[in-house]
Amino acid sequence: MAAATASPLAVTTPPEPRRPRVLYFGAAFAAASSALVVISMLAVYLQRRAENLAGGETALPEDVVLPLTPGNMGALTLLMSAVTLAWAIYSLRNDDRPHAYMAIGLTLVFGAAFIVDTAYLYQQLLLSPTSDPMAGLLYAVTGAHLVMTVVAMLFVAVMGFQALGGQLTGRDAEGMSAAAIYWYVMIAAYGAVWYGVYITK
Amino acid sequence: MTVTEDASAAANAPAPATATSGHQAPAPAPGLAAILGSGDHKVIGRLWLVAAMVHLLLVGVVNALVAAERADTDSFEILGRDWIVQADTFRFIGVVFLVILPLTISIATAIVPLQVGASTVAFPRAASASAWTYLMGGGLLLGAYVIEGGPGGTDEDGVRLFVAAFVLVLLALTVAWICIMTTVMTLRAPGMGLARIPLFAWSALVAGGVWILTLPVLAGLSVLSYLDVRYEEALGGGPSAFYDHVSWAFGTPTVYALAIPVLGFVGSVLPVFARTRHHLHRIALGLIGAFAAFTIGSWTAPGFSAEAEGPAWLYEGLWVVVSIAAIVPVLGLVGLWALTARKGRVKLASPLIFGVAALLMLLAGLTAGALQAIEPIETLVDGEGSSLFGTSWSTGTFAYVALATIIALLGAIVYWSPKLLGAAFPEAGARLVALLALLGTVVASLPELVAGLLGEPAAATEVAADNQSTIETLNVVVAAGDGLLALAAVLFVMLLVKTATSDDDPGDDPWGGHTLEWATASPPPVGNFTEVPSVTSEAPLYDAHHRTEEASA
Repeated sequence: MAAATASPLAVTTPPEPRRPRVLYFGAAFAAASSALVVISMLAVYLQRRAENLAGGETALPEDVVLPLTPGNMGALTLLMSAVTLAWAIYSLRNDDRPHAYMAIGLTLVFGAAFIVDTAYLYQQLLLSPTSDPMAGLLYAVTGAHLVMTVVAMLFVAVMGFQALGGQLTGRDAEGMSAAAIYWYVMIAAYGAVWYGVYITK
Repeated sequence: MTVTEDASAAANAPAPATATSGHQAPAPAPGLAAILGSGDHKVIGRLWLVAAMVHLLLVGVVNALVAAERADTDSFEILGRDWIVQADTFRFIGVVFLVILPLTISIATAIVPLQVGASTVAFPRAASASAWTYLMGGGLLLGAYVIEGGPGGTDEDGVRLFVAAFVLVLLALTVAWICIMTTVMTLRAPGMGLARIPLFAWSALVAGGVWILTLPVLAGLSVLSYLDVRYEEALGGGPSAFYDHVSWAFGTPTVYALAIPVLGFVGSVLPVFARTRHHLHRIALGLIGAFAAFTIGSWTAPGFSAEAEGPAWLYEGLWVVVSIAAIVPVLGLVGLWALTARKGRVKLASPLIFGVAALLMLLAGLTAGALQAIEPIETLVDGEGSSLFGTSWSTGTFAYVALATIIALLGAIVYWSPKLLGAAFPEAGARLVALLALLGTVVASLPELVAGLLGEPAAATEVAADNQSTIETLNVVVAAGDGLLALAAVLFVMLLVKTATSDDDPGDDPWGGHTLEWATASPPPVGNFTEVPSVTSEAPLYDAHHRTEEASA
């Protein structure tokens, strides 16, 4: 094996054998951490809401209606993005680059659509974040999930560019699979938000 | 390099290649660029180490000041009423998030890749970024305290800065743990299955698992606190609510998570200084894992269960079970280590003294934590006694566990100093620090337990309703213990600086170590190993030493 002679500024010197799954595990740990931030905020939201309801008050200010349609559309959009991301990985593994690009592009479009959907929900709510403690919590929970969505989109976009550059094809689709782990966990976190915030209200 | 588990196979195996043979050391890095731009895990580990040591001295001073303040429980002449709450919370926030976790990450970042035979830590750029983020966050956190923005502080901008800096520190710690865990999971040498992971690397893995379940929750709650302060109590809590949101992290059983590396460290050094193989290595892995599992039980603590729905007996029962059960895996490990020591010939070198001291203090802390959960044991005050939870007994328990962890981490620096600093730590000085730290821990923690039993409240701002003069006398003893600990910390830092600037060659394997970090040069070159090591047992170097001895015999 070659001796270690590179500059100390280099990340690592000796060429090492292929180490699979590094990105998988890193993405899984990062996804779990990110999801826990959202879930912990959701737990506080649910606790405060239960306290309000137990005290005979409404969960949100009385004149505010939390619309169900944008929440459901958001869930549907993210579910479709899960299918397109799985399609992207399948295509990459089969060296089907045109379909892989299309699937990655569609996934990012669905991610953007989800952000637009949430922005539309905020517009419909007509609720200032500072007007009520529950309003602030609602924006904190959904906002934290939006941040997670943006991070997931960036991860998929970076891996998408690597695929465009020809680095992630054939059996070597680990980067995109790692991005997919983060994406799926983001969708699961939204599942908890969707049920806790929009469905049970 | 291939080393085998049984003697016959070992005899047939090729001799392990020495790590330095044929190795060309890289040219010294040019100045500051070596630190600022390095992705080398040893450099990143040293960066964490320097920051943690500075924070250790700072926390030691504040701790001693708070203890001295409590010698007269209602005058507040030293720190004043404005500062006492901040100083009191800094004792906990500073010890956990600015000292113990960074120190653990420092050693894990520098040593774990070597232990598992990896050329680097996973995601080295992320690891480097986490270290710099921690430095920035830690600096801002201290700055926020200075302008009275810490918990209980009066400056609103300072409070905002504090919470934002705290989130930054949590982010840095989470990313660092992700890098360490990924290293253990994916960058192990060929042949090193999960059952053959060295105990310290395993303890870093399971501790990382606990912390990436804990730190994001703290981050989420801190973000809510930030919004609360930023939007003028929009969430209903306000500036004073922050510490209430995060204080569960300093109580039992979450605080036990700090001590997971203690078990890994003792398990790593004991077989080396007993000069034998670790007895039932796989069982030890399981026991460390079991101990880690019990540390995720803060939701059973009285602070949470008081507000929880459901039958009170369930939560109280779980609290008792978790508090008592946490001690069982540690007792199991003590048994294994006693068997290991009995099989070998123990040499009482300084790392082992640190290890034994840390283990004794951890057992004391775990025992105190278990007693705290048992309801019939109450404070000894006139009239009706109350639970020990929320008294100085709780802070005494925290002190035992936190100081046990610090002792073990200082011992880890001594043990791995050839790899971490490139020179051997002075043995006599290390022994003196270990004994001072052990004595200081007992003197600083035991009176806190007694004061708690006499009804002293945990918060430094509150005054005991009964036994005040006895409690004040006990607090003088605590202050003396904190003084001893501060002395030990100063002495250790002086020896550390002396070691780091020493030109002495410690040799590649001065202790006769068992695991892969001792198969490379001291300090290890960039890339760590000249050839990818391959192992077939949990103690590859032990096997290699024995094979050499047999061949020469």
